Order: sequence, then C-alpha cells, then structure tokens
Amino acid sequence: MNKETILEQINVIGRDVFDDESIVLSESTTANEVEDWDSITHVQLLFSIEKQFGIKFTSAEIAKFKNIGEIVACILSK
Amino acid sequence: MNYLEDIIIKIAVENPVHGKKLKKNIGKQTQEYKNKANEFFGTYIDFAKKSDKDLDYGVACYLRMLADVNQEYIAFLETGEYTTKSFEDANRRVYNNPEVMEYYMHGLLMSQYLWVHHNDIYKFFVGNIIAYKNDVKRYLEIGAGHGMYISEATKLLSSDTVYDVVDISPTSLEISKSFIAKKDINYMLTDIYEYEPSEKYDFITMGEVLEHVEDPISLLKCVASLLKDDGTLFITAPANAPAIDHIYLFKNAQDIRDVITKAGLKVEIEHAEYVEDVSPEIAEQFKIALMYGAFLKKQ
Repeated sequence: MNKETILEQINVIGRDVFDDESIVLSESTTANEVEDWDSITHVQLLFSIEKQFGIKFTSAEIAKFKNIGEIVACILSK
Repeated sequence: MNYLEDIIIKIAVENPVHGKKLKKNIGKQTQEYKNKANEFFGTYIDFAKKSDKDLDYGVACYLRMLADVNQEYIAFLETGEYTTKSFEDANRRVYNNPEVMEYYMHGLLMSQYLWVHHNDIYKFFVGNIIAYKNDVKRYLEIGAGHGMYISEATKLLSSDTVYDVVDISPTSLEISKSFIAKKDINYMLTDIYEYEPSEKYDFITMGEVLEHVEDPISLLKCVASLLKDDGTLFITAPANAPAIDHIYLFKNAQDIRDVITKAGLKVEIEHAEYVEDVSPEIAEQFKIALMYGAFLKKQ
C-alpha cells in the first residue's frame, strides 16, 4: 500500500470521526486546523485506523504523532 | 515565573491535540489556580534538580505518560477492559520497572495542575473538610503523593492535630516529603494491610488508590478498621480510566458506591464529574473517564 492510498483511507475515517464530509486531511494537517480534532476524537481516529489497517500502534509511536503525515509514515513502516 | 504557560507552549509543539485541550482547559481557570500551578511547578523544578533533571524533562515524561494513556484507551475501547489484570502485572509493567516508573512518576506530577479535574475534586475536599475542623485530632493519609489534600488539611484543621502518612513506595514517600511544606508529619513506609497504629483515626484520606488494587472492598475494609467509629474517610477513584497501572475497573459511579457499601461504609456527601467537558450521553458513548470523590462514614 502506498502513501496516497493510506491518506485516502484516513480521509474517509477522518470524515466519519470528525463528522464533517468536507474535511480534507493532508500530510501536514494538525489538530490546529481541524476544529473537532480533540482528545476524544484523536483516540477514535487512532482506534479506527488500527481497525482499518489491522495494525496496533505502540505508545512510543503514538507519542510522535504531530500530524497526519506522521500517522501515514507509521502505517507504512508496519 | 510563568511556568504553566511555558509548559503548555512546549506541549503544543510536540502534541498539538493535547496542546489545544490544555489551552482551552487552563484558559478557563482563575488567576489563583494559575498562581498555585506556577508555585507547584517551581517546587517540581527544585525536586527535579535533585536528580539533575529540569522542567523540559518533566514535559517529556508527561508526553510519554499521555501516549501510554492513549494506547490504553484505544485498547479499552476495543475490549471494555483494562490491560493490567493483577497487582503482579502492575508490578512487572510499572512499579518494578525503573525506566517506566521514572517517567510515569514525573508525568503524574506534571499532570497535577495540567488535568483540571484534579482541582475540582480538590475544591470538593476543601469545601467539605472544614465541617470536621473541631472533630479531627488524628489525620491519616494513605499515599499522599505531592500532598494536595494533606497540605490543605494542615491549614484547615485544628493546630493540635496529629498527621501521619503511610505509603508502600519509598519513591512516592520521598515525593511527599519534598512537596509537603509542613514539617511535623510522621511518614511511614509500610503496607497499609500491615499498619498497626497505636490509636485509631478521626479522619483518613485515600486519593486514587482503589483502582490500583485487585480487591477494593478488602482495602476499604482494612482502612475502615483504622477509623474511629465516628470517624470520616475521604476517598477518590476514577471510573473508566485506563492507565498502565489501573487494575480494578469501575464502570461508573454506582460501581464505586457498591464497593463502599459492601465494605461496611456509607456515603455522606459525594462529587462526580467527567474528565472531559461533554454531555452524559457522549461520555457514555465514548467511555469517558469519571472522577469520583466522597466523604464516607461507617454504616
């Protein structure tokens, strides 16, 4: 799976989690650009990503997620 | 010195999601809260210096602890259970794991003024302990941490009150000694199950301990046995709060009340609030943690 496909799938998850069909998440997107990206939806987002991609994030990986790009890179590394 | 603002800026760079939350939550607090937080972080810096650490180290530890909480929360959403099942598990993962214990301890200290719900429970304690002012001559705290409760008790209760602190962890006891200003407090390193005081207590405080044991009823019964017949026990405990060393899962406030009743105690007055600013429906849906505090008497 390449970066673009992963990003596309994260966008689908993000629209559901943030309950906003117009959301476009890019690699540089952080919580500062998405109003509803808070501590609750953050965990929902990671939970849904884990299920979608059949992976588990470690605590050390979670600690490094500053933006969508870092989540994508982590999925790619697994 | 505005340590609080510095800390939030640093956290927001490393963890924008949490930075956003802190700006919102701390922004709502009074200047008095911010002053107390800055005073606390000043004490934390002095404490950290003893082991050649600084505030940046505290922030890094806090962020690691937060990532652990997020990971545990994800697992909790999936299974509805805590991942640590026994005290032996908690010992292996945390208490007997020096690397984890080190960042966890510093992270928890930092959280005292970054997690504002701690302050709401503290205000509940302060607002109600004053009613016991003339009745408390012997005060015991089990696991005093940085001394949020006992420090206030020493200011509010009568001047001839005797203060004892019992803790099972030498590290935690050292933290208490470093953070609590009052000097004539008796610190005892012992397991509460083995503690045999010469005289029972009028008031006992036990904050956030019940969720760390396998059998909270047995612990409450043990603590109640150290209380005079008309004595008061103040407890706090979280429900739905996954963490690497939380063992006993209270699913809601009623679960905690049930344990209290089964231990032969009754609630005099209680306070419960979700740690996120959400409606009860959303809290239920997303299993948001709830903080519970109560003043208890023997039945």
